[in-house]
Amino acid sequence: MPLVKVPKPKFIEKLQRFFMVDLLKGLRLTLKYNLGALTDKDSVGGKGIYTEQYPKVRPDVAPRFHGAPRLNMDPETHDTLCIACNLCAIACPEDCIDVLAMDVEIIVAGKPRKKKVLDEFIFDTSRCMFCALCQEACPTSCLELTQDFELATYSRAGFVWNREMLEQGRETVKYTR
Amino acid sequence: MLLLAPINFIDQLLLKYFDAATINNVIWPFIQIGLVVTVVAGWVAYASYLERKISAFMQARLGPMRVGPWGLLQPIADGIKLLTKEDFIPEKADRWIFFFAPYIAVAAAFLVFAVIPFGPDWAVITDINIGLLFVLAVSSVGVLALILAGWSSNSKYSLLGALRSSAQMISYEVAMGLSLIGALMFARTLSLSGIVSAQLSDSIWYIVYQPLGFLIFLVSGIAENNRAPFDLPEAESELVAGFHTEYSGFRWSLFFFAEYAAMVIVSSVAVTVYLGGWYFPFVYRLTEAKGYHNLYVIVSLLVFLVKLSVILYLYFWLRWTLPRFRYDQLMDIGWKWLIPSSLINITLSALAIFVVQALDGWHGIKTIEALANGLDLTATGKTVMIAMGLLGLGITGLLLARINWRSRDFNLKSQRRNIKLVSLPQGKPAVPAVVPAASE
Repeated sequence: MPLVKVPKPKFIEKLQRFFMVDLLKGLRLTLKYNLGALTDKDSVGGKGIYTEQYPKVRPDVAPRFHGAPRLNMDPETHDTLCIACNLCAIACPEDCIDVLAMDVEIIVAGKPRKKKVLDEFIFDTSRCMFCALCQEACPTSCLELTQDFELATYSRAGFVWNREMLEQGRETVKYTR
Repeated sequence: MLLLAPINFIDQLLLKYFDAATINNVIWPFIQIGLVVTVVAGWVAYASYLERKISAFMQARLGPMRVGPWGLLQPIADGIKLLTKEDFIPEKADRWIFFFAPYIAVAAAFLVFAVIPFGPDWAVITDINIGLLFVLAVSSVGVLALILAGWSSNSKYSLLGALRSSAQMISYEVAMGLSLIGALMFARTLSLSGIVSAQLSDSIWYIVYQPLGFLIFLVSGIAENNRAPFDLPEAESELVAGFHTEYSGFRWSLFFFAEYAAMVIVSSVAVTVYLGGWYFPFVYRLTEAKGYHNLYVIVSLLVFLVKLSVILYLYFWLRWTLPRFRYDQLMDIGWKWLIPSSLINITLSALAIFVVQALDGWHGIKTIEALANGLDLTATGKTVMIAMGLLGLGITGLLLARINWRSRDFNLKSQRRNIKLVSLPQGKPAVPAVVPAASE
């Protein structure tokens, strides 16, 4: 009782098998790729080479990608935009943000007042899951998750970013070739 | 001639210290050996670079790019890396055999280069009259190294890889040797330089007389070298790395070296026997006939190297196109296709030579003077011979297809045979017989 119906091989199929047409097709394909890579003028990222040349050519990440955190500054005065409201630390599901504030004496309308300003900002990227809830919570759009993805360090302590790193950004090696 | 000047200078310099016989028989051979070893070592190193590059291009990658321009210094970096690695010997290994197996592999591979004619005159180290036999015999010693390496490693993967490679090499050695006989009937000498000069005096490449023999030699050569698609001894998915699983560092690199050197050897034998060696049309007439002897040698050397690279490219090309064979398929190809077709090739070649000689009036085969100069066929004889070669290809293919028609690896119908499952009873499943409970 045949359970699988199999078509009988046609004469042309037998002929193809005898002359090893499939093997020649495969050889043609690989030769085409090889010649394409050789004749390509701009072989990096050109038509012959499809592989992304990562350290040399930076990949385009998705527009909604969340990467390394950054504390934005006022573009004119270069003061931090952070008002030390602690909303980001409250919003963070992973508790990876610590906002340390201090009080500064200022004179408002002739009276001495205390103002809360940012002293230190600790962001633990090893615990961060890049949900960007802190970015949404920030009232002054100071804390932002950028599209930079190179977060690897040599030690566990290197994952904890302080205020300076968050404001200046981390230095990464730039490869040119 | 400008190219002659340095050679003459060295000759004059040597004549001050040695007599002429010593220079010709001892010192020049040493210089030749040194040159060949360096050049071949460089070739082998850059063959690995080329393989990586070509495989990268075939897979739309770039390959090595970091070391030097276009990664050209990659072989040197690899060499330094391998030399500085730990030379690890497993605790349960047979230390001495483990120690010496790589050296046997490399020695067997490099010994063969002594008889390969890279060019005419001074471009060949030695020309012995059993050159081809020497090549086949010495390159077979390489199998011994693989078996010893696999056995002494005391590891199951190594042993299985070594056994596979020995079985494979024994079965393909037969087809390889038999396929060469067809070409030897035309050359009528075993000396490799003699084979080339026979092709030169016939002004033909034996591939046009012997297309079938060339195909058999190429396939069995690839199998002999354990290269893909016949790289079962090193099948990563099954045997980690085959016979050199336990090797590391320098010793591993020696095996690697031996593999690529063996590849170069098989390609150069294929070039010598079937593609005319260093012979290329018009080269003789344009250089040697006008008195430029050294230019002739150098152009011939370049011709040889170009032909060698073509065959090596074929190796890489096939490797990165075809998937690996199954083991029974490998044995099938060896025993059911290549050995019978090489036997048919011998028969048909002998028949063809007989017929063509009869047409030509026996002037090549009867005289002993013609021995060194091949068959010395006329134009008609050559045409008939080429036609017979192609005809023989067809005849052999059809004959073997008829013989192997029932084998499952060849026959599409039997491969796609109707699958029969264990027949199930129709209707309701049978009620299991109730075992009567044992009465109390």
